Amino acid sequence: MNLLPDTYHIQQTFSDWCRTGKKVQLPGVVADRLVHYRRLVFNNIRDTMENAFPIAFNNIPSRKWDKMVKDFFAHHACQSYQLWKLPLEFYTYAVEHSWDEQYDIPYLNDLLAFEWAEMELYNMEDIPAPAYLTEGNWLDTPLVLNQEHRLLSFSWPVHLKAKRRELMTRKGVYFALLYRHPETGSIQFTDLSPWLAFLTEQLAQGITVRDILDYAPQLHITETDTLESDTLAFLKEMQQQHFVLGFQS
Amino acid sequence: MVGVGFRREFAEELISGEHIRPDFVELAPENWMNIGGYWRKILHRVVEKYPVLCHGLSLSIGSPDALNKEFLAYVKAFLQEYKVQLYSEHLSYSKCDNAHMYDLLPIPFRMDAVRHIVSRIQQVQDYLQRPLAMEIVSYYTPVAAEMSEIDFINEVVKHSGCQLLLDVNNIYVNAFNHQYDAKAFIQQLPLSSVAYIHMAGHEQVAPDLIIDTHGEPIIDPVYDLFEWTLAHLQPVPVLLERDFNIPEMIELQGELSRLKSICHKQWKLKDELVA
Repeated sequence: MNLLPDTYHIQQTFSDWCRTGKKVQLPGVVADRLVHYRRLVFNNIRDTMENAFPIAFNNIPSRKWDKMVKDFFAHHACQSYQLWKLPLEFYTYAVEHSWDEQYDIPYLNDLLAFEWAEMELYNMEDIPAPAYLTEGNWLDTPLVLNQEHRLLSFSWPVHLKAKRRELMTRKGVYFALLYRHPETGSIQFTDLSPWLAFLTEQLAQGITVRDILDYAPQLHITETDTLESDTLAFLKEMQQQHFVLGFQS
Repeated sequence: MVGVGFRREFAEELISGEHIRPDFVELAPENWMNIGGYWRKILHRVVEKYPVLCHGLSLSIGSPDALNKEFLAYVKAFLQEYKVQLYSEHLSYSKCDNAHMYDLLPIPFRMDAVRHIVSRIQQVQDYLQRPLAMEIVSYYTPVAAEMSEIDFINEVVKHSGCQLLLDVNNIYVNAFNHQYDAKAFIQQLPLSSVAYIHMAGHEQVAPDLIIDTHGEPIIDPVYDLFEWTLAHLQPVPVLLERDFNIPEMIELQGELSRLKSICHKQWKLKDELVA
């Protein structure tokens, strides 16, 4: 590297100022103009998080939210050279630093995970669909699913409720399936029962519906009279919604 | 050629070409690489319709940190995939201590910084197998300068062999903010290295300070400086940047048309003189 230690240190100091807003000593700067760099840099980060997590932004008191974003940007070295991926680092930072406890927002991790999954799915690279047939045996032919999906599990129904008051009384076990519509690229999501979440997970592994149904008793599912018909109805509906693409060829 | 910066906000209008019809579009690879779904389809439609130039955001040529080779590989693949005719970047830094800042920080005008940047530009040019056009950025305060801005830029261009992206609005902003003569500054640049011009609007936030926002229309004094500058240059592509406060397309097209008419006037005159 051709940089002298002094120049290197000056660049570090300048970037520290931008990240933290803490007063620094820099030679040859116009002090009252330095503030604009911190403002412009931080506003960009704040706007990015606000756009990526609109539900969280609206749900969390603004002072708390502002503190979170400032904390994140000051103490986390942002790694992505693509700004749109930075919210993943924000979410990860929140989990690693137990912000759910620190800020008394028990559903925070679930909410950030849900909103990030939506953004990631919307933007992520195309995954070519495997070859499939449009007709086949629902029970015995492995199904081909839309590969552009995320199956998420939550302790709080962040995909169904947005207000703290409603969320806080509903701790439980929830599943949500998010997928990208192959034609429009829009993100669809649907709430799943534990059984349908299990089914989706197994189908993605290439297991047939019949084999999955056979496993139901081991999941202590005893109400099995309508399980097969309900399951097939769900899958047929999901074919209409472009999540089930068809049958393995 | 007069183009416009490709923004998602008016992607559909660009594709339809009904109210706005640039000669080319410019996009930031970082905003489009590895993108799928709806926006990849849109990108392909835009690329089918218009030639593409690229203006990067995350190279951070002035950074103390090492160049990111994985990132460069993506850039190279992107430039090839979309048959990009020109790749430009900023003479600034946006990453330090392994942390991206996502904005353009001013480099200290110093000889060791020149040597550092020259070496990095050469590495990038060798890897990409194409020249880099480096943009003279707007800045609001010098930082620990040991040489003048113009000497700094000239040394970088002379020793790296890079091209220049002359953002006329930036020169206007810098001249205002640091109280120098914009025309005298431009005359001292290696003008034969200018490969690309940017034009944009700005916002005056204090009696002695302008911020380069790309959120307003170009003002008349910047058009005047642009026209004066063209008289000293060979024809190169000209880009209108508009990143915020996106107006009606007819207004943007009006700015494109005005830029184009100035190009025709100045460069036609030059052609006649050459003939």
